[in-house]
Amino acid sequence: MEKSLFKFIWRYSAPQQMVILFITVLSYPVSYILLELPKQITNDAIQGADFPREIFGFEFDQIAYLVLLCFTFLFLVVVSNGLKLVLNIYKGRLGERMLRRLRFELFQRVLRFRLPHFKKVSSGEIIPMITSEVEDVGGFIGEAIALPAYQGGMLFVQIGFIFMQNPLLGLAAVSSYPLQAYIIPKLQRKVVLLSRERVKNIRSVADRVGESITGIPEIHANDASAWHSADLSDRLYKNYKIRFQIFNWKYFIKFLNNFLNQLTPFFFYLIGGYLVIEGELSIGALLAVIAAYKDLAGPWKELLAYYQMVADVDVKYQTVVENFDPPDIYPVSRITSDEIEPLNGDIVFKDVSFSGGAAGQELFDISLTVEEGSDLAVVGQDGSGRSELLQLAAGLLGPNAGRVEIGGQNLDKLPESVLGREIAYVGASVHVWTGTVRDNLYYGLRHRPIRLIERVGEAKSEYARRLTEARETANPEYDLEAGWEDLEAAGVEDQEELDGKALDVIQLIGLSNDVYRMGLQSRLDPKRDEHLAERILAVRHALADRVAQDSQVQGLVELWNIDRFNHSATLVENILFAAPADPARSFDDLAGDRDVVEFLEETNLKSQLVSIGLRIAETMVELFSNVSGDSGLLGNYSFITLDELPEFERIVRAGRSENEKLGLKDADRERLIGLAFKLIPARHRLGVLSKDMEENIVKARHVFRERIEKDGKDFVTFDPNRYVPPMTIEGNLLFGRPRVDRRDARERIDRLIRSLVEEMDLRLPITRAGLDFHVGVSGSRLSAGQRRRVALARALLKNASYFVLDETLTGLNEEDKAARKVIREQLRGRTLLFGTSNMAVAEEFSDSVVLDQGRKVEARSEEFAAAT
Amino acid sequence: MTLETEVEALRRVPLFRGIDETKLRLLAFISQRARYADGEHLCNQGEEGDCAFIILDGEADVRVHTPEGEKVVAKVGQYAIVGEIAILCDVPRTATLVANGDMEVLTVSKDDFLNLLKEFPEVSLEVMRTLAQRLEKTTQDLAAMKAGDSAA
Repeated sequence: MEKSLFKFIWRYSAPQQMVILFITVLSYPVSYILLELPKQITNDAIQGADFPREIFGFEFDQIAYLVLLCFTFLFLVVVSNGLKLVLNIYKGRLGERMLRRLRFELFQRVLRFRLPHFKKVSSGEIIPMITSEVEDVGGFIGEAIALPAYQGGMLFVQIGFIFMQNPLLGLAAVSSYPLQAYIIPKLQRKVVLLSRERVKNIRSVADRVGESITGIPEIHANDASAWHSADLSDRLYKNYKIRFQIFNWKYFIKFLNNFLNQLTPFFFYLIGGYLVIEGELSIGALLAVIAAYKDLAGPWKELLAYYQMVADVDVKYQTVVENFDPPDIYPVSRITSDEIEPLNGDIVFKDVSFSGGAAGQELFDISLTVEEGSDLAVVGQDGSGRSELLQLAAGLLGPNAGRVEIGGQNLDKLPESVLGREIAYVGASVHVWTGTVRDNLYYGLRHRPIRLIERVGEAKSEYARRLTEARETANPEYDLEAGWEDLEAAGVEDQEELDGKALDVIQLIGLSNDVYRMGLQSRLDPKRDEHLAERILAVRHALADRVAQDSQVQGLVELWNIDRFNHSATLVENILFAAPADPARSFDDLAGDRDVVEFLEETNLKSQLVSIGLRIAETMVELFSNVSGDSGLLGNYSFITLDELPEFERIVRAGRSENEKLGLKDADRERLIGLAFKLIPARHRLGVLSKDMEENIVKARHVFRERIEKDGKDFVTFDPNRYVPPMTIEGNLLFGRPRVDRRDARERIDRLIRSLVEEMDLRLPITRAGLDFHVGVSGSRLSAGQRRRVALARALLKNASYFVLDETLTGLNEEDKAARKVIREQLRGRTLLFGTSNMAVAEEFSDSVVLDQGRKVEARSEEFAAAT
Repeated sequence: MTLETEVEALRRVPLFRGIDETKLRLLAFISQRARYADGEHLCNQGEEGDCAFIILDGEADVRVHTPEGEKVVAKVGQYAIVGEIAILCDVPRTATLVANGDMEVLTVSKDDFLNLLKEFPEVSLEVMRTLAQRLEKTTQDLAAMKAGDSAA
């Protein structure tokens, strides 16, 4: 990568820089005339004589001449500002493109780092480098060449003018320049060094903040907040000190500059005055020189400012770039090559040694052959080099000495397009990506965009623009929206079949129960799968029949019925008999919804709800105002949190007040309605709901239904014959609520639903819906075991010829044993390396090698088993 | 039945007799109301006890395993509190409770009851008083039995 910023700029933007320079130079005469013209208008056109004038063969009288000059002026104003606009946009675009190129290049380099390199760098440092630290570079690039060229040219012309007037004065004018040219870089050097330090300091701050966030449970568990506070505070103090020093130097340089600049007039007056008195220089010439010198100050100042900016930006660039140039970085072709070539043959380690930089991450002189199609257990404790050996076999690490080959091909030289498709690897720690289960399962098939999408009209031209920009900035032209799944590699015809295969795989490795449960909790868009929605409705009807026939079941559940109040559901569900289209909306949010408010007013429910809300609030305040916040009672049972309690105390007082002014405000009423909405009558038993009120509510449902049917995008009504998208699949299956006043009702209803789902063959489709389950940030909503199984399913779906599994399903329990058996059966005929620390597990495989402290040792199984 | 009627019922439970109305309302509010149909089990002998039952309506058979099989040893009816020993000290359920006809029951979970005691020491005091009275009665009974034994 280019070591200096100017090399980078010149290499990727030389022609554009020339264009900028050209436009800058072009604008000079325009702005010069623009400055001169007003003088001519006042002196010549307004106060002048000798009219009419002749210009280009036309005669002008005074008024016409004035008009001509003024319009010329107007024209030049337009041209001059137009040029500025064009120039600024051009510079800005160039800067942004170069920034994009730089950032992408940096990221691509991160992708090219060898794995051991990541032990030395942290994401907390890398992220600010790619994001904020290079930001200034973009703003600077447009100015990089044009500014010094233009201002330097101006300066040169002005100095030339002074020299032509009088060489001696010319010398006087530039007398301070050598001094400035000598001292200022020296001082600036100090600022540069400090800037470097500042960048590194802020990086360490970012790193510490990042680490604190990752380790936050540890901090709290060890009462280490104080230590981390002190640590960060210390770094911030260093930052302050560095910045303060930078200020000091910067302003000192400014001071020195100004001083030296103003020293020159001192010489002018002294030497020039002397020369005038002696009669060697005319007073007119002296004044002209002094005026010219004033004009020098502008460009000179600009150049100095530019110099300081270069120093600053260049140091930022260098401090970033030096981190992205490790000597052992992989060549670009390793990640960009499209070469696809099936690997066949034995895995061969030839005298392989590897050192990961620490004890326990080493291998010494390993030679072994794994025959194609066989399976081998690699046994070793953590720190025996087992993981390193497996990563070497997967091509993730490169040996320090020796070679790792498959079918005679050196893995270290093969591109990822071969390694990543032919070898499936599940390491000791797996990563699950933020996204759906499906995204994660198909991750191993998303190598390149395969099924390109047809774009028409606006989308097509927008895509073309996107491609042009990508080419301008050496970014890849891959289409993110295309179909990336390599169906062929997975051995399927279409997406449908791929889903089917994925379901088979998760069944095999024992993940399907979990995904089924995710499916029950997920929401289905019936437009995407009408068939499934219909089948869910069929289960719903079967369940309703069961409830109608079986009095036992009847007592456990309250189904949604538009003519009956549901005591196990919230009041808002009862009133609206509909769910908000966006399931994330809160009760308070609904209480303020325009549709809901209008409807409540229309049906006269509003004031009744406010009084219900008020009575609930009164009860809550009465019950909980003496309870301390940390007892847990408040959190578990109250409608109101501890923080909200004072607010509701005020509302309760306002509600009781006779005084109109002190009474309830509209916002208070809204809050009370929100509170009333949360009421589940059978659970809370507050006795605030009369039979009449229940009847009114049931009647009002029809009104809301009509309202929604007219123009309701925000709500979906509960209709026994229609799928309700905002409800979970489980909610749609049951279409009601387990009774809250029956113990174990939920569990018994769940069992009933499960048996009906099995009976009606819906388990698979619901599991499939579970593929859309969002796994949270880095799979945080999955358990560790689930994450591991997802990673394994991903590897199996990839259909590679070589499998490398490390510490995956290595338990001695029946479940893991069965899973291992399934995996071995599935992978029969392919090459499998299985890493484990347990000899008993290794014995299930046809062959094994044992590692101890980085060396291959004889497999003395009894001894080893005894040791573990 | 609403909270108010539950409070009425709680007031009749000897254990809570001296406790003021607001606390009883809180206790009622944090308890769960459950209905049991004839023959359903409230709890089973031997399992971990995590809640006490206050019978609002109906009655339950108390059954105990004996060498001859399960036997009904007692009946508990309206306003009785059962299973409170299990929430005060960690012992397994000493009997099985089976609904005899439809029942309305208030269940108080162990954690909530203990929280309530922590929160309002006067409630603890009242509970202590009641338990002490029981102990006193048991001791007297025992003494009377012993006296009867020696007399005989």
